Amino acid sequence: MMRLAEQSVKRLTIFDYGAGNLHSLAKALDGPARSVRLERDPRAALDTDVLVLPGVGAFAPAAERLAPARDEMRARIAAGLPTLGICLGMQLLFDESEEGEGRGLGVFAGRVERLRAARTPQIGWNGIEYARDGAGDGAPPPGGLTIAYYANRYVCRPDRADDVVAWSTHESDRFAAVVRRGDCLGVQFHPEKSSAPGIRFLDTYLDSL
Amino acid sequence: MTLTRRLLVCLDVQEGRVVKGVRFQGLRDVGDPVELAMRYEREGADEIVFLDIAATHEARGALLDLARRTAERLFIPLTVGGGIRTVDDIAEALRAGADKVSLNSAAVRRPEVLMEGAKRFGAQCIVASIDAQWDGARYRVFTAGGRNATGLDAIAWAQECVARGAGEILLTSIDQDGRRDGYDLALTRAVADAVEVPVIASGGAGNAAHVCAAITEGGAEGALVAGILHDGVTTVGALKRAMREAAIPVREVAA
Repeated sequence: MMRLAEQSVKRLTIFDYGAGNLHSLAKALDGPARSVRLERDPRAALDTDVLVLPGVGAFAPAAERLAPARDEMRARIAAGLPTLGICLGMQLLFDESEEGEGRGLGVFAGRVERLRAARTPQIGWNGIEYARDGAGDGAPPPGGLTIAYYANRYVCRPDRADDVVAWSTHESDRFAAVVRRGDCLGVQFHPEKSSAPGIRFLDTYLDSL
Repeated sequence: MTLTRRLLVCLDVQEGRVVKGVRFQGLRDVGDPVELAMRYEREGADEIVFLDIAATHEARGALLDLARRTAERLFIPLTVGGGIRTVDDIAEALRAGADKVSLNSAAVRRPEVLMEGAKRFGAQCIVASIDAQWDGARYRVFTAGGRNATGLDAIAWAQECVARGAGEILLTSIDQDGRRDGYDLALTRAVADAVEVPVIASGGAGNAAHVCAAITEGGAEGALVAGILHDGVTTVGALKRAMREAAIPVREVAA
């Protein structure tokens, strides 16, 4: 009985690389039959049902915190560990970043580059256009989010267009807004800061797992 | 679709309550910050800003507690400012639930704090708050809620803040603050043209036309409003409708 009860709770772990607001993210991820915890040790963070790489901070210090468990984390994600990367967390799913030193997880092939725009960082609400041909495993666009909050100066440039579920455009620079392969989802925006539709987007993803 | 222009709602707080200064003096209590922030989110506000007008290091505890209580229930970005001085203070504020921190006097006293914060947390969460006043020849920077003249030129100071790591400028006109006859468009335009980061216009909003002008004429990416909402002169919905009618791209919120 206990085992059944425990198994029915989805354990979410936010890898805490020591930067930023994780408080409202934890609240946004919480829900019925879910538990959310923060974990500072990247290896311990892998003891979870869903890994969350949060969105505030700078690339280099975050990559450094991730480094001791990088290969293990990469292997677990490749083996199907559901993973949600938000903003910087999405960027950490790629190979490397122009913003700073260190290696990303390389789950998605490509580099993180500075936005090609006169005014950066991009701060504010921007539209999301879903790729017409679907992406990754052909998974349908989660949620139905059409506008979301961004706070970023860097964006991911995926090598493979079919990793991209949705795009956004800042000034004339079109960049990947959502990437997905299997249960690994990366979003450049902050769903946890995108009001009720953002929370629904998170619920749709988590409920699909 | 493009990046939309923002309507930010500012709640001046003191000891956990909302106040709004008229020319930084004569404060009136207008309510509970958490309830107000949530009401404005529902109405379509794009961001919430809490500014602790006491801005003392001692008052920081109350501000962080407020950020914590708000972040549990608010799901749009929250900026907090007032009494934040060091990179450790920034860390604490972000950890409490702020998405951005605004630094004013502390940046003037020790500009290095901007880069220290940007390096650790990213420029997007470091807001340089600048209070400017026209002296007949140029715009000058004031700190401590308008009490201390620094002699700094506001436009040059804005550029320096950005060079030192600020990802956004919150620009308040002391001349216009609380007067409700419009933002200082010349000041806003001068700073928006001088820096590459987003500029938020603040001080002087009296109606929707003022908000639109801050964006179309002032070149601001966002307009900050306070008193006219807290007093019920207008609503977030009415302001955004006017922005949309002025062909400004805005986020729509389902009624």
